[in-house]
Amino acid sequence: MALLSIRDLSVTYHSGTRHVKALNSLNLDINEGESLGIVGESGSGKTTLIMAILRLLPKGSVEISGEAFLNGKELISLKQEELLKMRWEEMALVFQKSMNALSPVHKIGVLMSDIYRIHKPEVSKRDARRRIEELLELVNLPSRVYDLYPHELSGGMMQRVSIALSLMFNPKLLILDEATTALDVVTQTQILEEIVALEKKLGITRMMITHDMSVVASTCKNVAVLYAGCLLETGLTQDVLVEPLHPYTQGLIKSFPVFDNDTHQPLQSIGGSLPDLSSPPPGCIFEPRCIKACDMCRESMPRLKEYGQGRFAACHLAGGEINV
Amino acid sequence: MSRYLGRRILTGILCIFVALCINFVIIHAAPGNPIRLLVGKDNPNPQMIAELTEKYGLDQPKIVQFGKYVGNLLKGDMGVSIYTNEPVSDMIIDRLAPTAMLALTAAVLAAIIGTALGIFCARRVGTKLDAIMGSVSYLFDSTPSFWLGLMLILIFASTLHVLPTSGMIDMRADNEGFAKVLDIMKHMILPVSALTLTLIPYYFRIARSSIIQVMGEDFITTLRATGMPEKRIFRKYIFRNAILPTITVFGIQMAYLVTGSAIVEIVFSWPGMGSFVMTAITRRDYPLLMGIYLVLSVSVAVMMIVVDVLYSALDPRISHESK
Amino acid sequence: MRLNKTLKIIKENTQLKVGCMMLVILFLAALLAPVIAPHNPNILSDDMVVAPNMKYWLGTDGLGRDILSMILYGARTSLVVGFTAAMIAGIIGTLLGGFAGYFGGRIDGVIGEMINIFMMMPTFFLILIVVALFGSGLFNVMVVIGLTTWVGNAKLMRAQAMSLRQRTFIKSAESIGESRMAILFKHIIPNGIFPIIANTTMGVAGAILTESSLAFLGLGDPNVISWGQIIQNGKSYLVDGWWMCVFAGLAIIFTVITFYLIGDGLNRVLSPKLRNLGKEVRG
Repeated sequence: MALLSIRDLSVTYHSGTRHVKALNSLNLDINEGESLGIVGESGSGKTTLIMAILRLLPKGSVEISGEAFLNGKELISLKQEELLKMRWEEMALVFQKSMNALSPVHKIGVLMSDIYRIHKPEVSKRDARRRIEELLELVNLPSRVYDLYPHELSGGMMQRVSIALSLMFNPKLLILDEATTALDVVTQTQILEEIVALEKKLGITRMMITHDMSVVASTCKNVAVLYAGCLLETGLTQDVLVEPLHPYTQGLIKSFPVFDNDTHQPLQSIGGSLPDLSSPPPGCIFEPRCIKACDMCRESMPRLKEYGQGRFAACHLAGGEINV
Repeated sequence: MSRYLGRRILTGILCIFVALCINFVIIHAAPGNPIRLLVGKDNPNPQMIAELTEKYGLDQPKIVQFGKYVGNLLKGDMGVSIYTNEPVSDMIIDRLAPTAMLALTAAVLAAIIGTALGIFCARRVGTKLDAIMGSVSYLFDSTPSFWLGLMLILIFASTLHVLPTSGMIDMRADNEGFAKVLDIMKHMILPVSALTLTLIPYYFRIARSSIIQVMGEDFITTLRATGMPEKRIFRKYIFRNAILPTITVFGIQMAYLVTGSAIVEIVFSWPGMGSFVMTAITRRDYPLLMGIYLVLSVSVAVMMIVVDVLYSALDPRISHESK
Repeated sequence: MRLNKTLKIIKENTQLKVGCMMLVILFLAALLAPVIAPHNPNILSDDMVVAPNMKYWLGTDGLGRDILSMILYGARTSLVVGFTAAMIAGIIGTLLGGFAGYFGGRIDGVIGEMINIFMMMPTFFLILIVVALFGSGLFNVMVVIGLTTWVGNAKLMRAQAMSLRQRTFIKSAESIGESRMAILFKHIIPNGIFPIIANTTMGVAGAILTESSLAFLGLGDPNVISWGQIIQNGKSYLVDGWWMCVFAGLAIIFTVITFYLIGDGLNRVLSPKLRNLGKEVRG
């Protein structure tokens, strides 16, 4: 059974007369205990997706439709009090910019135990402190970090603090939003390895947002490729990497050096840039940049079709034949 | 105490020293003989001239004179008033408390009201009310405090006859104890209002913009994601972070505060330093004028340092820089 | 072409639009004072302390002078003092800030400390004493205000110069061997001047307020008509002749708001533009 099921999720930003469709009826499942990497370039709607699931999008100017079930509970229509309770206990998040993830004028431990005691008000301050120090140890930080301020830590240490914070209640779903992008390669690898080990130990389901194919390749079982708010391809990471069905996925893979070791193919980048989402192209969303585009691609957006177990792609040309 | 504070205190001392130098230079560069200036143009008294020439060592080189001048000041000797012959220091001390009372009451009130209004508008950004409040803040920012004072007198004292217009206590009523305090407070209402109203716009704007800025910070999103209720996020985290610029402004405002207070004091005949300045100017009492300027400089510098101490206690990043 | 563009920017920014319209009114009032003033502001008539009526629209003062005419002539004083003092402060601030920010090192240390010291000083009292001692002619007033209010400009220019000196075009000018002085005046100052222009506009408002305060305290130039002076004279007639203080004060508020609006408008116009420029460079 899927831990998280997203059904027809759409997000539209309104600003004046412009209406930007940042997510376009997205469908996605993550099974319990698995890991999903969501890849796409900046502006593809990755962050909008998490913000929508966590209901952190600003009210008023944003329109959300569709459903997202976590453990059977529908998040988009959930009442505020229930939502507050669910946040962090069932789904936690590690943010992109960990340096700014905590209040600069509060001690790390003070902030963490304050969060801890929101969900567990009955716990004494001393017990909260013990729990926080345990968490810090879990991510290989000395317990004295409790009494430090964010600016006193390095980027890698702050990232570990963010991870410790996210693991506070052993959440079922852990979301990492470009969580290691800002770090140097050595620290990044170290932290990724630690995360993978921790989630096995704690039985956490992980959703990882990144633009780095190599991170997905080394840490995620499944991958979903997002482009301009549309899901283009999804499946087991190894399948998708070895035999990408969508021209965009193919382009993404060709633009990363790691996968070209054997073939010695030159690196290629995808020409053009994301379409203007307030007036998207009439056919396939990727058509203006697609090197294989034909007439049909200019006319209609292809639907997501299944190609084998859990393998989906949205392309008229996928699988060698033209799909209508 | 951190190196940051050490630096600020040093700047404060330097500031006072520069004020001293400016004082000295002004006396010696002003048109005419400094003694003439010190004695007052209208009543040259040979005996006094001789006394002062000796006291300030005017026959000695300028640098020695400066040393003497500073030496006298360090001993607390700011000279003698030409008009009353009293020591300047004694005269000033009597006047300090009323000014401090007026200025600090207004500053604290303005900081509280301005910040509250700023928070109010920050939570309603883009609404009509926010726009109106913004325009009103412009209006008060552009209003000279002395004119506002006069208008308050015109409305509340001369037309409505509800509040006293001048002085600090009612001379006719011989109030004691609580009645006296009440009387002083009644006299404070108009001058404090005039001063507060002109100070509010600064706090309003800084609070509004810093709250808006902090609400957009990443850590606020983190806190929301953890399931912390909005009220708690605001009270404990947004406010705590957004209040820092207000404290900075409170410090920067000190110099302006003393100025604004002085002018308002003159309008309301408040017996403080401000009206004293005018007395000194009209009587051409230069030692007194110099003394007032020095004392004000020192007060502003001390107040600013106090605010800096407070700031560095609230912002851990400050003390960290010096480690 | 350039004029059209400027007009378009002014039209699109409400603050600039309103501010410029008000500025035009002010300039017209000041320039055309001799033409439009209904009376000679210096002639003492027998109509003393007359309330606003058809002959004296804004009433007369205690010496029988027409308030409206005095306010029109007073606009000249305010504008001259405001602009001159702000220009002096602008030039000093730009030079000191530019030197400190671009040259750095010990020069920056000294100028930076000077900025800190002046931030702490109750400059109004300094102005007061200087004017009291050296005479309260308009020239003295303008120069003293200018000499004591450059700090904000210097701070802004220093920050501008510090960020500009990191930019590629400055580095390339340095590597070609242009002298540092030439770079400061040819590249750093012209490219960093815009925030100082906005701040100087606000400085005009500050100088006008300071001048009117001095005049209110009786330290204005006795030979010119100024709004502060009208209020000072009108103070004694507050109850029986409210119009003297009220209208002169409204004139001050009108003028000060004009320059605040323009300054604030300039800031708003400039900052998104700068942000867009940054984007172009990066993208």
